Amino acid sequence: MPNQTQVPTGVSAPAVNGADPARDALLARSEARGEGAWMRGFREQAWAAAKAMPWPSLTDEAWRRTRLTGLDPDNFSYGPTHEGPVGEEELSPLLQDELHEMESAATLIFEDGLMHYRVGVAALEEQGIIFKPLDLAVQEHEDFLREHFMTRVVPVETDVFTALHGALWDSGTLIHVPRNTRVELPLQIINWQGEGQAGHHHTLVVAEEGAEVTVVDSLLGARRGLQNSVVEIVQAPGSQVRYMNLQDLDTSAWNLMHGRAHLNRDADLRWIQVSWGSMLTKAFLDLVLQGPGGHAELLGIYFPTGRQHIDHQTLQLHEAPHCFSDLLFNGALKDRARSVYMGSIRVAPEAQQTDAFQRNGNLLLDSRSRADSIPGLEIEANDVRCTHAATAAQVEDEYVFYLMARGLSRPQAERLIVQGFFQAVLERVPVESVVHKLEQVIERKIGG
Amino acid sequence: MSQLEIRDLHARVEGQDILRGVSITLRPGEIHAMMGRNGSGKSTLAYVIAGHPHYEITGGDILLDGESILEMEPNERCQAGIFLAFQYPVSVPGVSVANFLRTAVSNVRGFTKEAHMASQEGGVVGSHLMPMRKFRRELTAKMKEFQVDSSFARRYLNDGFSGGEKKRTEVLQMAMLEPRFSILDESDSGLDIDALKVVADGINKLATEDRGFLLITHYQRILNYIKPDYVSIFHDGRIVMTGGPEVALDLEEKGYNWVEEQFGPAEPVA
Repeated sequence: MPNQTQVPTGVSAPAVNGADPARDALLARSEARGEGAWMRGFREQAWAAAKAMPWPSLTDEAWRRTRLTGLDPDNFSYGPTHEGPVGEEELSPLLQDELHEMESAATLIFEDGLMHYRVGVAALEEQGIIFKPLDLAVQEHEDFLREHFMTRVVPVETDVFTALHGALWDSGTLIHVPRNTRVELPLQIINWQGEGQAGHHHTLVVAEEGAEVTVVDSLLGARRGLQNSVVEIVQAPGSQVRYMNLQDLDTSAWNLMHGRAHLNRDADLRWIQVSWGSMLTKAFLDLVLQGPGGHAELLGIYFPTGRQHIDHQTLQLHEAPHCFSDLLFNGALKDRARSVYMGSIRVAPEAQQTDAFQRNGNLLLDSRSRADSIPGLEIEANDVRCTHAATAAQVEDEYVFYLMARGLSRPQAERLIVQGFFQAVLERVPVESVVHKLEQVIERKIGG
Repeated sequence: MSQLEIRDLHARVEGQDILRGVSITLRPGEIHAMMGRNGSGKSTLAYVIAGHPHYEITGGDILLDGESILEMEPNERCQAGIFLAFQYPVSVPGVSVANFLRTAVSNVRGFTKEAHMASQEGGVVGSHLMPMRKFRRELTAKMKEFQVDSSFARRYLNDGFSGGEKKRTEVLQMAMLEPRFSILDESDSGLDIDALKVVADGINKLATEDRGFLLITHYQRILNYIKPDYVSIFHDGRIVMTGGPEVALDLEEKGYNWVEEQFGPAEPVA
């Protein structure tokens, strides 16, 4: 529970005589960011909702294995409210590397909650594609956001963290790809967060009928900070989205995430969820198949080391017939690391001829590490094919002996086996440079 | 002269004596076939020579050029020139044949060592692996020579391979690693006649003057394609008879029951 004795300034403190300095502060920030009446009202309502909502408790199934002891959302600072964009040479070397590692159609870089750099956007605009920071979108596309922003996909009232996100969101991106428009190269979003800061990063992707887009969304930094992100993906009939969420936050960061995709008829989604960083992660990831013929893949990898704690909770919700969903989460664990995977496949009575699969594999590299896997099925239709499987195993001695008998040292053999374990996901990552980068991180994590 | 000598070797696993005094010497240019019943301890001998940690050596020694290898790790034995072709090659998911074999070849041929030394001397450290193009060229040529389809380079090691594909890939690995002494553990088992010919042909290509082979088998069949210099009969954890190729024919004719009549029943192995 948050500390109740501190100066009553935030969400964890009750308002005294109607006074709520934190609300006043967030409204002042909204104004300083140049937001109009609608967004200020939106934030105010979300704040009120957050204050009225319960903090996760240990009796809540979703939070039984992941405790937020020591997290107080009031204990973080916020970045500036206004700062102009900078030139590429003013970006930190790390961000320049991130920028150049990948060939993208366009890139947005956020630092401390504000957009600091963008490139390639003009050419997209000529095709009618919107790829812009959310604060600009609030000014230029208010009607569109009123329809889509935290309304249907991840509603503000989902839980206390989505409500806080609605009140406090800072960095964020709106992506809108018009009908039958195809973006060849990935759209790249890089979010860097300074020490001790709270960040609430938002990504909203709307793909119209027949549109095709690939998005790579990276979260970095947040040393001793908090990241509370929301990802919303809306897919019209026949659209194709490839979404990669690459979380490589500092290992002292708290990380909370709500991601959800709604797929209409014949829509096709591949979502890659990478959880490398953070001290603690709790990520809710939902696929909702709302129209017949939808095809969704949710693929995750994680590799906690030290005392990292990584928790993914997924839902494959089949509301329409003839849909396919495939989930694969593979994680390796070292030292005293801990992972939790909770998965649910839910098939509504009308969702006949559903194919839904769910697999979670864990490779324990240390006897002190621990992986909990709780798969689940809730099926109300009778003509479906659903399977789930969970494994937790150590590196097989027979694999190691075989490779050593061919001249590999024990560390080389173990390295190859761990890399091979991740391969089932890596081979389905659609961007070559991202694969290369993920392989480097795996290498680093095995070694260090 | 180079040789691999197994001297009065005793080994046990889980409290059970499996090898009860095996002596055999492999020399370059020689093929030594070893025949025996299932469960006689042939595969244990193969594993023990390769250094499987599961087995406990209770007596005797294994000497490579006069030096004991018992203290060496499996990879050190491989680097010293000993190769074991597995009866049941292990599938390693996600590890491609090419990726794995490049590391293996680089170790065995000393690329890793050179890079290590260069880094200690403060010199320019190149890749510690054999250069990619050179490796690719060699692998492609060897795959063609040993009748392994080129698509196998990208496939995951033994993952979803048929029995014949696994055994052929073992021979390919042997060809790439160029060992001085190879232990082939039932490389003929589970193969149809066409696959057997391909595997036997591969072994014959590799059986040059500078290499020695221990060919472990249950059946005489493979000896129609590979001509051994010696044939030994393995029974009850040791070699009970050694002779020329005629021993295999005798055995084929008289069967393993004859061995039992001659040398007594095997001690039960639980």
